[in-house]
Amino acid sequence: MDRRTFLKTTAALGAAGVASPRLAAPALAQGAKVLRFVPQANLANFDPIWGTQYVVRNAGALVWDMLYGVDSTLTPQRQMVESEEVTDNGLTWTFRLRDGLRFHDGEPVRAADVVPSLTRWMARDPIGGMIKAIQDELTAVDDRTFRWRLKKPFPKLLYALGKTNAPVAFIMPERIAKTDPFTQISEYVGSGPMRFRRDEWVPGARAAFETFKDYKPREEPSSWLAGGKRMLVDRVEWVIMPDTATASAALQNGEVDWWENPIADLVPLLRKNPNVVVDIADPLGNIGSFRMNHLYPPFDNPKIRQAVLVGMNQEDYMRALVGDDDSLWKPLPGFFTPGTALYSEAGGAMIGKGDIKTAQRLLKEAGYKGEKVVCIVAQDQPITKAEGDITADLLKQIGFEVDFVATDWGTTGTRRASKAPPSQGGWNMFHTWHTGADCINPAGYPAVRANGDKAWFGWPNLPAVEAGIAEWFDAADPAAEKAAIDKTNAAACEGAVYAPTGFFLGYQAWRKNVKGIVKGPLNFTWGVSKA
Amino acid sequence: MSATVVPQLDAAPSVAAPLPDVIPPRKARGPVWRFVRRYPTVVAGVIILTVIFLAALLAPSLWTVDPTALAPAKRTRVPSAQFWFGTDMLGRDIYSRVIYGARVSLLVGFAVAILASIGGLAIGLVSGMVRWLDGIVMRVVDGMMSIPPILLAIALMALTRGSVQNVIVAITIAEIPRVARLVRGVVLSLREQPYVEAAVTTGTRMPAIIWRHILPNTMAPMTVQATYICASAMITEAILSFIGAGVPPSVPSWGNIMAEGRALWQVKFFIILFPAIALSLTVLAVNLVGDGLRDALDPRMAKDI
Amino acid sequence: MLGYIGRRVLATIPVMAVVGLFVFSLLYLAPGDPAAIIAGDQATPEDIERIRASLGLDRPFLVRFGEWAWRILHGDLGISIFTNLPVSTLIGQRVEPTVSLMLVTLVFAIVVAVPLGVLAAWKAGSLIDRLVMGLAVTGFSVPVFVVGYILAYVFALQLGWLPVQGYTPIAQGLWPWLANLILPSVTLGLVYIALIARVTRATMLDVLNQDYVRTARAKGLAQRHVLFVHALKNAAVPIVTVIGIGIALLVGGAVVTETVFAIPGLGRLTVDAILRRDYPVIQGVVLLFSFTYVAVNLAIDLLYTVLDPRIRY
Repeated sequence: MDRRTFLKTTAALGAAGVASPRLAAPALAQGAKVLRFVPQANLANFDPIWGTQYVVRNAGALVWDMLYGVDSTLTPQRQMVESEEVTDNGLTWTFRLRDGLRFHDGEPVRAADVVPSLTRWMARDPIGGMIKAIQDELTAVDDRTFRWRLKKPFPKLLYALGKTNAPVAFIMPERIAKTDPFTQISEYVGSGPMRFRRDEWVPGARAAFETFKDYKPREEPSSWLAGGKRMLVDRVEWVIMPDTATASAALQNGEVDWWENPIADLVPLLRKNPNVVVDIADPLGNIGSFRMNHLYPPFDNPKIRQAVLVGMNQEDYMRALVGDDDSLWKPLPGFFTPGTALYSEAGGAMIGKGDIKTAQRLLKEAGYKGEKVVCIVAQDQPITKAEGDITADLLKQIGFEVDFVATDWGTTGTRRASKAPPSQGGWNMFHTWHTGADCINPAGYPAVRANGDKAWFGWPNLPAVEAGIAEWFDAADPAAEKAAIDKTNAAACEGAVYAPTGFFLGYQAWRKNVKGIVKGPLNFTWGVSKA
Repeated sequence: MSATVVPQLDAAPSVAAPLPDVIPPRKARGPVWRFVRRYPTVVAGVIILTVIFLAALLAPSLWTVDPTALAPAKRTRVPSAQFWFGTDMLGRDIYSRVIYGARVSLLVGFAVAILASIGGLAIGLVSGMVRWLDGIVMRVVDGMMSIPPILLAIALMALTRGSVQNVIVAITIAEIPRVARLVRGVVLSLREQPYVEAAVTTGTRMPAIIWRHILPNTMAPMTVQATYICASAMITEAILSFIGAGVPPSVPSWGNIMAEGRALWQVKFFIILFPAIALSLTVLAVNLVGDGLRDALDPRMAKDI
Repeated sequence: MLGYIGRRVLATIPVMAVVGLFVFSLLYLAPGDPAAIIAGDQATPEDIERIRASLGLDRPFLVRFGEWAWRILHGDLGISIFTNLPVSTLIGQRVEPTVSLMLVTLVFAIVVAVPLGVLAAWKAGSLIDRLVMGLAVTGFSVPVFVVGYILAYVFALQLGWLPVQGYTPIAQGLWPWLANLILPSVTLGLVYIALIARVTRATMLDVLNQDYVRTARAKGLAQRHVLFVHALKNAAVPIVTVIGIGIALLVGGAVVTETVFAIPGLGRLTVDAILRRDYPVIQGVVLLFSFTYVAVNLAIDLLYTVLDPRIRY
């Protein structure tokens, strides 16, 4: 088979150039509605449990369905689940699946699919890991019922199952869900509103989804991940653009319908086009971030991490990201989303003011020995690229030796997972961002966790942060929650779990003939129609 | 490519000197003026190159600021009295970056031209003079030449980290085979010449033959070739940087400035405009000089890519 | 003549062997341990050792090269480190756009460049000649991405005549296919036009100065007839040669052009692969392009026997 492909390709290139049929789009029914969407990044791999990049999650939300889903108030609502029961002591949960749920291969969704799906998810998700730690057993009772017995109550269980943060608890068929959690799946069958056209997937160029006719949407109106996910188009094509300029031109020309993340600089241009609508993508915004690797020098030293936080100038980062529009960003002396209930500035007074002198002094006092800082920067993401340039300058000013590794977002995703020493394929620093929806509380926010080996990349080990988070999980009322978060925030600032580079709003843009796009942390494609 | 290059060699020095005296003393006006009239494009090329050379050399004193200094608060400013060429997405001064960028382009262009000439000369000489090696060497050269140069450079860059040295080495390796072929061709045709054959039969030692007969006759076509390599190396560097496989983003090279500006080309075209002009002008100048050299040295010599 | 063809075909074998050796060395010299890459993030040192042994990475260079070459000859280009898909699949998905781009460019460039070159030679020394030659040297000097952006700005954004990006398979119709390729082909074709026009002019000048052409002219044959029948026919060999050699330029330019115009072809694949250090993909692309180059030039060499009756073997 391989041989034939090769021969075919060489023959095509070498001799006549006979068109290969591979890229030929399938014959579409007359009048079929195709929504062309430019995602924020290339869909390079497609295992939403194995990979936590937003782009993988966003594609995953089309293909796989969830037991619960948060609505626009971030309250978990039933999705695949018809009803749930919990015992008074909070230890035993019994869930019943909706009737008529089917996977894309026609098989019904059974409790026996749910159990391995959740098991695989728990192995990779930080909050899932917390549930696993207190889990007694998770069993399928019958085809539509499964039971979860815990050793300790876990009040945020439904939120965990419905959260937006990756990895999301997607439900896969049993045979796929049994894949080792650290190995990528190779079959993309879900029970979500769209099926993935694997045969049309060209990594780096495009991905295609087509509406799953047997999907049974819920009756409720859709709201974010909750409610009826009704597809109003026949096909969704993800067109991966090599750069923002090309994407912008394509949108203006009507070659694509919807662009997930136009950069602020191009917004005035897009606004001038009468056929294009530009709006804030998500009022909850984003938190810019770079993470230091707590396992290796120099950032194993808390004082050196502190020096970076003190020397960092959030205004520089934000201006590099959003340009001159002051309404698009805020300084962020903390780790939680501004404008939400738990937002805290406790302990953050020193962060992000650009105090290079103090940073230099701290670095000297800490006894920095000139270790090279291996700084990974994805060049294909406007956000990380801009952040990386500012960071390189910042580190130089403070007095670090910098080894700037320019790479792409996909590679960053792979490399950041390596715990190897920086000189042997590991890293000291990488850049990313979090959507504000993920940062409203610690439950859906693995990046703020500091439980060492189990923490997110960088593996901070800060008991004080973990203590604060534990307190929040156990908190009985909003005041106690707020107090716990204040403690968490202060400890996270003190120990520099990661470096928040500021809070900013992003844009999205679409053609006028597209209706139903909502603001939110991901591109909710259900309910979107195209005239 | 034949011995006909010999008689024209005399014409070379006046043009081949890197910076000929284009502003002559008053008395010499006659012949120089005639030269300018005859080769206006060459003169234009030389003048442009001289200006760019001087700019690169004197970059710090040409009212530039630190080309890597960030100022996000003053980003994407249009050209003005303060920022002659505007500022880029991180508020760096494009004028300063373009001036300093000349250093990278010229360094890459000339270093590759010189290194590839030396490497190609050595390989070509060995191949042309040592018969039993010729077959092997030429097969290797043919093999390397069948890999498109930019692809070869890209592949080599994949092995290493982006740095100016690595870019130079990668482009040099990609360009050497062409020079080697050229030199070998000249050597082979010279070997047939009676005076060379005579030298061989009378037992003149190989180095002496090379020094006396081969090298002088190789110089002319090689110089022409070297200028074209210089031009193509500059473009290759820009392409490598543009696709993210060239010099590291922190180095202000023309390719890098354009790579960074391309996201905004629709709204802030000036960010890529100025480095594009600088690069095009420089490459054009080198090509003009190359064409002039070629015409002067051997009107029949077709341009070899 | 059959003997010549046989020899010429056989001569491509050592050339491809050298290419193969180079491409193989690429992976051999690549930083990072392929076993570690394949094993993934969570592997133990023992896992990596096991994978290394199973891949045969502990054996000598030449043995491994031999095996690798054997696999390549059977069409197995390996697995992309990054996407986990066979390299031959990735390449297969992207052949059509690149071949289309190159063919359209080729046709466009030849149609424009050869007449320009002939015209310049015919009117050697005139204003037209200088214009053509000036255009040629400019074509060599302006970076291909600058040309691309300018064309896209004018024709796609301002005038809206043509799409600015992407690729439509030819299966969806000739015009949509062509519409997407016009701007990229003009962009990519500029250098190529410069090259072909120059060589055409140079060889035409040579031929026009030869006795029999002068005779033909003196005999009063129509200019057009002299130019296109006598002269161009005799100038064909160098022109066709340079078209073959120029394939290398096209490949280099395609890498950039496909990036500028978001064409999902082999050039984009190369750029993506290099940023990710996806060596098997880089290997596959280099092999494929080199093979194409060798094959095209072989075909051209063989064409000589047809084009130029004076060549006898």
